[in-house]
Amino acid sequence: MELSGGALRFPHEQWPYEPKFKKVNGWRMHYIDEGAGDPVVLLHGNPAWGFLYRKFVKPLTAGGRRVIVPDMVGFGLSEKPVREQAHTLDGHIANLTGLLRQLDIRNATMVSHDWGGPTGLGFALSNPDRVRALVIMSTWAWPLPPAEFHKRIFPWRMMHAPLVGPYLLGRHNALAGRGMYLSVVDRKKFRAESQSVYEDILPDPGSRLLTWAWPRWIPVDESARGLARFEWLERELRKSKLPTMLIWGREDEVFDHKTFATRFKDLLPHAEGPELVTGRHFLQEDSGEEIAGKINRFLDCIDGRHS
Amino acid sequence: MTAIQVIENPVLEGTRRALVLVEDRIGHYPEFREFFVRQFALDTSGLSRPGHVRAPSGMTYALVFIGRSGEPFPDGIEIYALPDALEPLNDPEVDADLWVLLRWMIAGVGGEWRVEDLEATGRLYTLPRRQ
Repeated sequence: MELSGGALRFPHEQWPYEPKFKKVNGWRMHYIDEGAGDPVVLLHGNPAWGFLYRKFVKPLTAGGRRVIVPDMVGFGLSEKPVREQAHTLDGHIANLTGLLRQLDIRNATMVSHDWGGPTGLGFALSNPDRVRALVIMSTWAWPLPPAEFHKRIFPWRMMHAPLVGPYLLGRHNALAGRGMYLSVVDRKKFRAESQSVYEDILPDPGSRLLTWAWPRWIPVDESARGLARFEWLERELRKSKLPTMLIWGREDEVFDHKTFATRFKDLLPHAEGPELVTGRHFLQEDSGEEIAGKINRFLDCIDGRHS
Repeated sequence: MTAIQVIENPVLEGTRRALVLVEDRIGHYPEFREFFVRQFALDTSGLSRPGHVRAPSGMTYALVFIGRSGEPFPDGIEIYALPDALEPLNDPEVDADLWVLLRWMIAGVGGEWRVEDLEATGRLYTLPRRQ
């Protein structure tokens, strides 16, 4: 991460894209904007940033699409607030809405992963005139029940428990480091190719706050914050007629496809898939090009284009 | 010394407060708030004074409790090391002290929260080995 010509950038051979910034809700939000055509918005979750989609940008732009990859406020090259109170689910949906309205995005395909799910779907369902299709990967959009993984003390609830979260995920960067490493299939390749990128973009304990704030927004019981927003998401999603494709990692142990993709299929019976690819939770790391190809074919079909 | 020792009225002269860990939401799991309320009698002392503990390195730490309107007290905690005023911190020592403090906290919270699970979580995320 460096300042170059007054602009913050992360120089990397696999991330040659021009950084762009907008002010949304008072925060600096980073995004890249490549290619031309109907936009495809690629949304990451915790603790990633746009780099997660590095293998998507070229195939999608070559397919005649404009590709927008925002960094959530709190991650990547976006501003990183240092107080937990700065982060709410509604606030993050509003941040994305602020960015996409400033860019006057229309006819968009929202590609959502992890917390990019509740935020991206939140945008799509509250701005239906701007969205034409959904791609949903390893996420959820309902209040309860949580994944089995999220009910357990070891390791999930312990990892973000009071003071433990700021220690393990803050001082020791455990989620961007070891956490992501454990959530890919080809760990050797991940370690060699990209692990340090996810660690280095969060260089200081204070810059990692969202890595333990987001887990605390996952509803685990009826008293959870955000429960009403998740109820709304589920209710509105069930009404959606948007063309949708579900893509899941075959080896995903957190949002396992038999539970989570199946529930999305129940909400959206018209959805294509689930298309299963090699991948744990961060399936983009193991199957980036393959997923980009699936998205191109899905959109070609909607557009009446045939290769 | 291998444990956390709560101390009253530590000597603060010649020390400074060095912020080492911040928790903005101690009541995310309410039993953690209840532990600190019990441990430092916060239902009677409130904001009047921080809690102080001595850690295995011999360093004294101040636990400063944060209140926010509309939220049960305390809502947050700031942990400060109290080194000699002009001396830098020994980061590995502070890190080891904080780990022992977390063990002490988890043991005190009790119930479904077990020190064994904290240790296992630390091992899973490959923290340096600690006693």
